[in-house]
Amino acid sequence: MKGPKLAKMAWRNMWRNRRRTLITLCGIVFGVLLAVLFTGLGDSTYSKMIDLAARLTGGHVSLQHVDALERGYSPKRSITRAPDRRRLALADPEVSHARVRITGHTMLAAGGNSRGAAFIAFDPADDGPATLSILEALKQGRSFSSSRERGIIVGHKLADHLGVRLGRKVVYTLTDKHGEIVTGLARVRGIVKSGADSVDAGICLLPIDTVREVMGYGADEATQVAVFVKDQRRSDRVATRLGARLARAARERETVPAAVPWFDRQPELAGFISMKVTSTLFFELIIAILVAAGIFNTLFVSVMERIREFGIMMAIGFSPGRLFRLVMWESLWIALVGIVLAALATAWPYHYLNTRGIDMSAMVSKGGAEIAGVGMTPIMYVEIYPGSAAIIVVAAVGATLLSGLYPAWRAGRVAPVESIRLV
Amino acid sequence: MSQPIIELRDVVKTYRQGHVEVPALRGLSLSVEPGELVALCGPSGSGKTTALNLIGALDRPTSGSVLVEGQDLATLGRTRLSNLRRDRIGFVFQAYNLIPVLTAYENAESVLALKGVEPSARRKRVMDLLSEVGLEGLEHRRPDHLSGGQQQRVAIARAIAADPAVVLADEPTANVDSETAEKLLTIMERLNTDRGVTFVFSTHDPRVMEHARRLIRLVDGRVETDETRS
Repeated sequence: MKGPKLAKMAWRNMWRNRRRTLITLCGIVFGVLLAVLFTGLGDSTYSKMIDLAARLTGGHVSLQHVDALERGYSPKRSITRAPDRRRLALADPEVSHARVRITGHTMLAAGGNSRGAAFIAFDPADDGPATLSILEALKQGRSFSSSRERGIIVGHKLADHLGVRLGRKVVYTLTDKHGEIVTGLARVRGIVKSGADSVDAGICLLPIDTVREVMGYGADEATQVAVFVKDQRRSDRVATRLGARLARAARERETVPAAVPWFDRQPELAGFISMKVTSTLFFELIIAILVAAGIFNTLFVSVMERIREFGIMMAIGFSPGRLFRLVMWESLWIALVGIVLAALATAWPYHYLNTRGIDMSAMVSKGGAEIAGVGMTPIMYVEIYPGSAAIIVVAAVGATLLSGLYPAWRAGRVAPVESIRLV
Repeated sequence: MSQPIIELRDVVKTYRQGHVEVPALRGLSLSVEPGELVALCGPSGSGKTTALNLIGALDRPTSGSVLVEGQDLATLGRTRLSNLRRDRIGFVFQAYNLIPVLTAYENAESVLALKGVEPSARRKRVMDLLSEVGLEGLEHRRPDHLSGGQQQRVAIARAIAADPAVVLADEPTANVDSETAEKLLTIMERLNTDRGVTFVFSTHDPRVMEHARRLIRLVDGRVETDETRS
């Protein structure tokens, strides 16, 4: 490139006032550190919440009757050829698991006590704790040994309400696909204790083929295929893609199932996360503005102190554009050095919070917290998405370069004769 | 007769200080031929520095024309004025005014780099010049590790590095002791004689006036006397 090496000059200029540069760098380090930790905490917490919610209910994407979302649960709103839909979902490279289930509501009765609960009927050969988080909280008994077993798994509070223990009989009452009231008899095979009231007092598990038989469903009929996506952030795209594939694979006069992402099924959770993400972004924006103001101040003062020098440089042939680029190089160096120092300063706290987490148990009720119906562990970890980290880096560099624009423009607008003060 | 390298035609320059207009040049006309060594002298406020600023394209006249190598500076925009300063004019300032983050070598080299001269040619040229002004072995020192006289020599090397049509020197000996001043003047005189570099000084210093081959005395923004010495 023609001309003196501006990058080298800018580097040296940056260190002319070391204390000021170091203070500016500290500002960048502090800003990036806060941004990484807050964003990482959010990324980790919200991702865990979404994954937990998916494992608790119908996956990241639920293949279900097209009216189920709008009009609510009904045994009549089932999907046929559920195993085919499951295979179709599994063919998507971003899908990790797909599980066929029947979900609905039931009335449980035992020894004169009765309680309403939501039920999830699953195939024990297929579903496990990895896709059905309630099974993770099984504290007594076992899961089902077959999909035709006459068993039931209940939450411990539900068991208390019903007055049942392991091995005791429970009668469950359902509405079948024709609208008739039907009942089934099951023995308690397992008791769940998750720490979340909505689970412990409000959900029971049943074997899927037994429920099919009771409800009069065909062997390939179900209410949903719960689809699990490798990266929950891709849920929306996967849902769109699966929706299109389901439509293409539909037979004549067949009702095409809908592919519904988790945030449409759980708007309260989506709203909570959206609100939190927005407030974090707002907080980070304030930090960014404060850091950018500090950088602007440093660069502006640095330029104003060197007005005479810029005048000399213009006198010997530096063009306004070259002076502009020189100051922008100084901004870039500050940004790059700031990012490197920030990475070093962030590494240890990030590693600590990523592996050990923040124990919030003193601040939440015993057993964990429940947010928007999702039970959370009381330890919060920091784990940032690479994309979020990249955004922070780009934002820090961008803010620094933006802060340098006006000082750089001023440097290029210096009037040589006034700055040199030959007069 | 060759074309003048510098020509001022009826130049008026008026500064405004608040509501008061202060005339610095009142119809100054002069011309400088290539290879001359000219000293502009006169009392404070006579317009010496203003004249240098106008010739160096650092400022614009209120009226009249300033021509460098026949080119009217009023017709040039910011970028072309910047290019003119880079390619055709060298500056030596009273306070040296080197770029503090560059070494002696880099300061002298900077104008060549701005012109796009190849690195190998730059190196040879700068080393020759630094040697010529007596700065061998000090190439890698930054200005704050050089004495005033050494800094002014670097400034001279920088001013002539790009083979300018004219070097403008504003009180070049004002901040150095008499011995150093004599050495600097000898260097500039030699460059004028050997290389044919045109020098225009503004000065109060009688030693500079002694070295000048043409002495233009300004009073109240006009030429009072214009004396050429043999």
